[in-house]
Amino acid sequence: MALTLRGVSVSLQGRDIIKAFDLDIASGEIVTLMGASGSGKSTLLSFIAGDLAGPFSARGHIMLDGQSLGSLPPERRHVGRLFQDDLLFPHLTVGENLLFGMPRGERASRISRMEAALADAGLEGMAERPPHTLSGGQRARVALMRALVAEPKAMLLDEPFNKLDMELRGALRAFTFDHLRDQQIPCLMVTHDRSDAPAGGRVLLLKDSMERDD
Amino acid sequence: MKVKTIAGALPLGVLWGLPLMAALVLGVVRGVDADAWRALFEHPQLWPALWLSLFTGIAATGLSLLCTLIILAGLYRTRLWNALQPMAAAGLALPHLAFAIGFAFLVAPSGLLARLAVGGTQPPQWSTIQDPWGLALIAALVLKEIPFLLVTGWSALSRGDQAAHLDGQCRAAASLGHGTGSAWLRIVQPQLLSHLRWPLVIVFVYGSTVVDKALVLGPTQPPTLSLVIWNDLNDAETATNLRGLAGAFFMSLALGLMLAASGLMKTFMARLARPLLSAGPSLASAPKRVAAILGGGVVLLSGVVTLLLAVLSVSPRWPYPAIWPPVTGTKAWLSLFATPAPLWTSLALAATTAVVAVLVAIIWFETQDPSRDRYLLVPALFSLAIPQLVIGGGQYGLFLTLGLVGTPTGLFIAHFTPVMAYVAIVLAGPWRGFDNRYMAAARALSSTPLRNVLRIKLPMLKAPLLTAAAVGFGVSMVQFVPAQLAAAGRYSTLPMEAVTLTSGGNRSLTAAYALALAIPPLIVFLAAGLLGRPRWR
Amino acid sequence: MTPKLSRRGFTGLAASLPFIGMAKADEGWSAIEKEASGQTVYFNAWAGSPQINDYIFWAGLELKAQHGITLEHVKLSDTAEAVRRVRDEVTAGKADGSADLIWINGENFRTMKRERLLFGPFAEDLPNFALVDVDGKPTTRVDFAEATEGLESPWGMAQLTFFGDFANVEEPPLSMMELLERARVNPGTITYPAPPDFHGTTFLKQVLAETMTDRSMLAVSVTKEEFVEASAPLFGFLDKLHEHLWREGKQFPPTQAQMTQMLADNELLLSLTFNPNEPANLVANGMLPQSTIAWQHDIGTIGNTHFLAIPINARAKAAAQVTANFLLSPKAQGRKANLKIWGDPTVLDLDKLTPADQALFDTTSTPGALLDPAPTIPEPHGSWVPLIEAAWLERYGA
Repeated sequence: MALTLRGVSVSLQGRDIIKAFDLDIASGEIVTLMGASGSGKSTLLSFIAGDLAGPFSARGHIMLDGQSLGSLPPERRHVGRLFQDDLLFPHLTVGENLLFGMPRGERASRISRMEAALADAGLEGMAERPPHTLSGGQRARVALMRALVAEPKAMLLDEPFNKLDMELRGALRAFTFDHLRDQQIPCLMVTHDRSDAPAGGRVLLLKDSMERDD
Repeated sequence: MKVKTIAGALPLGVLWGLPLMAALVLGVVRGVDADAWRALFEHPQLWPALWLSLFTGIAATGLSLLCTLIILAGLYRTRLWNALQPMAAAGLALPHLAFAIGFAFLVAPSGLLARLAVGGTQPPQWSTIQDPWGLALIAALVLKEIPFLLVTGWSALSRGDQAAHLDGQCRAAASLGHGTGSAWLRIVQPQLLSHLRWPLVIVFVYGSTVVDKALVLGPTQPPTLSLVIWNDLNDAETATNLRGLAGAFFMSLALGLMLAASGLMKTFMARLARPLLSAGPSLASAPKRVAAILGGGVVLLSGVVTLLLAVLSVSPRWPYPAIWPPVTGTKAWLSLFATPAPLWTSLALAATTAVVAVLVAIIWFETQDPSRDRYLLVPALFSLAIPQLVIGGGQYGLFLTLGLVGTPTGLFIAHFTPVMAYVAIVLAGPWRGFDNRYMAAARALSSTPLRNVLRIKLPMLKAPLLTAAAVGFGVSMVQFVPAQLAAAGRYSTLPMEAVTLTSGGNRSLTAAYALALAIPPLIVFLAAGLLGRPRWR
Repeated sequence: MTPKLSRRGFTGLAASLPFIGMAKADEGWSAIEKEASGQTVYFNAWAGSPQINDYIFWAGLELKAQHGITLEHVKLSDTAEAVRRVRDEVTAGKADGSADLIWINGENFRTMKRERLLFGPFAEDLPNFALVDVDGKPTTRVDFAEATEGLESPWGMAQLTFFGDFANVEEPPLSMMELLERARVNPGTITYPAPPDFHGTTFLKQVLAETMTDRSMLAVSVTKEEFVEASAPLFGFLDKLHEHLWREGKQFPPTQAQMTQMLADNELLLSLTFNPNEPANLVANGMLPQSTIAWQHDIGTIGNTHFLAIPINARAKAAAQVTANFLLSPKAQGRKANLKIWGDPTVLDLDKLTPADQALFDTTSTPGALLDPAPTIPEPHGSWVPLIEAAWLERYGA
C-alpha cells in the first residue's frame, strides 16, 4: 500500500498557498507535515480525504495503491482520519463506536474483533460504556482503534495528540505509530510540534513551497 | 444562589405558573360530575369518535415525522440546507384553519382538481374531503406539521456548537466508510430524535384534538371526538355542557395513555434499532431525490393553497366547473379593513406575549439548575396536552373571581399561557444543549456573568431565540377559545372574527381573514429566519 | 346567513298570558331615554354574516345620532356563549355584566328564563311594541312554546325555506315525498346538515311533521315509548331517503353554511335556511346566481321568531331598552327586511303603520325571493327534540 500525490496544490481565492508538489508515502511510512497556522495543512488533508469545503480549493492527483481517488466521495476512499477532537459518537457505546466503522460481516466475529481491539488498547470490558465516562487518553485510544478496525488503506492524522498532556502524548504517539507500522499503513500527519514526528521519519515543512527537511 | 433561584422563578410563576395551576384546578372542579360521565359513556359516538381522533393523531404524527426525517436527511450538509429554514417557516406561518379552507377547495369533489381532471357539469361523487377515515384531515395536518417539525429539527441541527460537533462526526463517519445516508441514519438522526420528542407530542395532541380543521375536512358520522365535545360544549343546556367537559377530560386521559404508551414504544424501538447503529459501514447515500420531491411537494401544495385562498378572497361565487371565478370583487377585503381594531389587537398581543415569554424563559434558564427544568417543561406540555376548552374554562372561572374578565390583563394572560408553553419547549433544547465551555472560556476572560450571557450566549443562540419568538408570535395570533372567554366581548381579535365568520360560511370573507391571519406570522418567521442565520458559516 | 340562535326548539300549547300592563306613561319612557344617553350597549349577536354585521353597524350609527348611545357589537359564533357567560357572571356574583343585549330565541331563551338570568318584563312596555303583529304572528309572544312574558322583544321572523338554482331544479320538490323522488332521480345531490346542527334538527322536525299520521301529537309532551311509535314513519322515510343522498347518507355536512357553499359550488341541488329571504340576499351579494329560486313545502314549514333580551346583570339596561325599541321601529325593521341589506322578515303589522312608515318597506321582489309562502308549522314541543336527536345519532351516527 502506498499513498501518492502528484501535482497537488491548494489555493485560497485563486491564490496558491501550497504550490504544486509531489509526494510518495510508502507502506508503514509516517510522514510529518509542519507549517504555520493557515498554511493550508488541514486543507490538504481534507482534499486527500475528499471532503474539502469552504473558501479553499485544491487540484492535483491522489493515488492509493496506484488507483486514482479522483472524485470518489470520502466514504469510498478507505482513507482513515484522526482529528484534533476524538469525535466519538456520543449516542453510541464505546463498542458500538468501534463496530460503526468495521466492515460488515458475521456479528459474532465482528464483536470478537471489537473486543480484541479494545483489549489491544488496554480497554478490556469497556465496550458497554458511553464515551463520556472515559478519560481523555482512553477516548483517544478508542478513536484510533475505531479508525484502524475500519481497515483504512491510508491514514491522515490532524494534530491528533494536540489536546493530551505530555505524558499521555508520548505514550499515545508510540501506540499509534506502532499500530500504523504493524499494519503497513501509509500515513500523513499534520502537527505543530516537531517532537510529534517519529524518529527517523520524513518531516516536510510548509512554507511558500513544499520543502523537505530531514 | 438561593435568592437568585427564587427571584428567577418569580416572573414565570406569577405570569404563567399560578394562573395555569389555578385554571387547571378550577377546570377539573368543573369537570367532576358523575351524571355527565354516565351520559358520556352512553353517547353512541364516543368510542368510534375516540378511535377516529386517535387514528388521525397517530397517522398525522407518524407521517409528518417520516416525511420530515427524509427531507432533513436529503438536505443535511447540502447547499440547500440554509434555504430550508425560511421555506419551512413560511409554511409554518399559514394557520391550520386557513390551510384547511384552501386545501378543501383544492381537493373537494367540487374543487379545483376535480374541475381540471373531470369537468362536466356535475362534480364527481368523490369522498376526497370529509371521508369516513379522516384521510383528508390527516393529509392537511401532515402538510402543516412537516414545516413545524422541519423548523424545530433544523434549529436543533443548526445550533452553533451542535452543528460543529455533528459536522465533525459526519466527517469521521465518512472516513470510516459511511455514505451520507448511512451517516445520517446512524449518527445525526439518533441525536436529532431526542430534540423532536416534545414537538412530536404537540403534533400528536393537536392532531387528535383539532376542532376547526376537523369541521372543514374531517368525517362527520361519526366525527372526531373533538367535534362531539365541541357540539356538547356549545349547547345551551348545562347538563350537555358538563357532558362535553367530561368528554374533554376523558379525551385528555386517553391522550395521556397514548403518550405513555408511545414512551414505552420508543424505548422498545430504540432497543430494536441498536444493532442497526453498529451494523458497520454502508455506502448508502442520502435520499436527496425523494427529499427534493417531498420537500418540493410540500412547498408546491402550500403555495397553491395560499394562492387559492387569495383567489377565493376576491370571488364571492365560483361554481363548478369554472376554472376561474366568474365574478371577482374586493368586498371581502373592504369589509375586513372597515374594522381594523381586531387586527391591531392581535398584532399587539402577539408581539408582547412573544417578547415577554422569551424574556421570562431566558430568566428561568439562566437562574435555574437544568434539573429543575421539569418544573417548567412538564406543566408546559401538560397545558398543551389538555384540550383548550378545559384550560380556557378554568381560566375564565379564575378571571371571573379576580375581576379580570374583559380586561387587558385577562386577555394578555389568556394569550400568554400557551405562548409561554411553546416558547419554553422550543427554547429548552437549544439552551440546555449549549456548550457551556464557551461560557467557562468567557468567564476565564474575567467577564461578568451577565455580560457573558448577553455577549456570548444570546448571539450564539440567536437562531433558536428568534425561532422561539416567531413561534410564540404565531401561537398568539391563532388563539381562540381561552382568549374569547377572557375577552368577554370587550375585545376582539382576528381569529375571533374569523371563526365567527366561518360559522356563516361566507367563503370569500373567510379566505380574506385566513390570509390576514397568515401574513403577519409569515413576515415574522421570514424575518426570524433571515436574522437568525449564523454569520460564522 | 340565518342566525344560529339556538339549536333546539321548544313549543307547546299557545300559552295565553296574563296581559302585562300596556306601555308605561310617556314620562316613564323619556326617563329611560334620558338615562340611556351616554351609555354603551354591548350587543351580543351572532355575527357569521357580513350583511347582518353591517346592519348592526348602521343601527349603531343611528343610535348614536338619535339617542347618544354607543352600540358595541360583541360578535358571537354561537349564542350559547353569551348564555354561559351571563350564567357564570351571575353565579360569581358579578353585578356589572359584560352583556347588555342578546339576540336570542328557543332553547337559549328558555334556559335564561328558567334560570332567572333575564331582566324584565320590559318588551311589551316598549313604545314600538304596539306595532308588532301579535295576532298574525303569534310566535312574537311565544318562543318555541315558551311564553316570552315580556322578557324578550321580538326582532325578526323565521321559517324553514329551501332554495336552489332554477337551471337545475325547474320543478322544486314541494313535499318530503317529492324530495325523496328527486333524490332517486339525482342521487348524491341532496343532503341535510347533521343534527344537532339547528338546521339539521329542523329538517328532521319537518320530516316528522310531514310523515306523522296525527300531527297534533307534536304540540304536547311525548314519552320515550310514544316517541318510538310516533317516529316510526320518520325513520322509515329516512331509511328510504339516505341511500340516495350525498355520500349515500353515510356522511352529512356539519352545518347549513357548508351546505349552501356546496350548493354554490354545484355539488348539491338545494340547500335550506331559516330565513326565507336569505336566498335573495345571497343573490344580491353575488354568492348565488340570478336564477336562484326559493320555496317552501305545500303543507307548510316549521317557523318561529327571534328576539332581543336583556341579561339581569346588564350594566346599561336603559340604553338596552332604547336599543330594542329602536330595532322595532319601522325605520329599522324596514331596512332589515330589505333583501339587499339583510332580508330578515319584519315582526311588525304593516297595517298598523302610517303610509309614510309603510313606504320604508321595499316590497319589490328580487331574484331569489320566496314567491309563494306556505303556512307556518309551529315548533314541536321541546320534549321531542332530544329524543329525535338521540334516535338519529343511534341509527346513523356511527
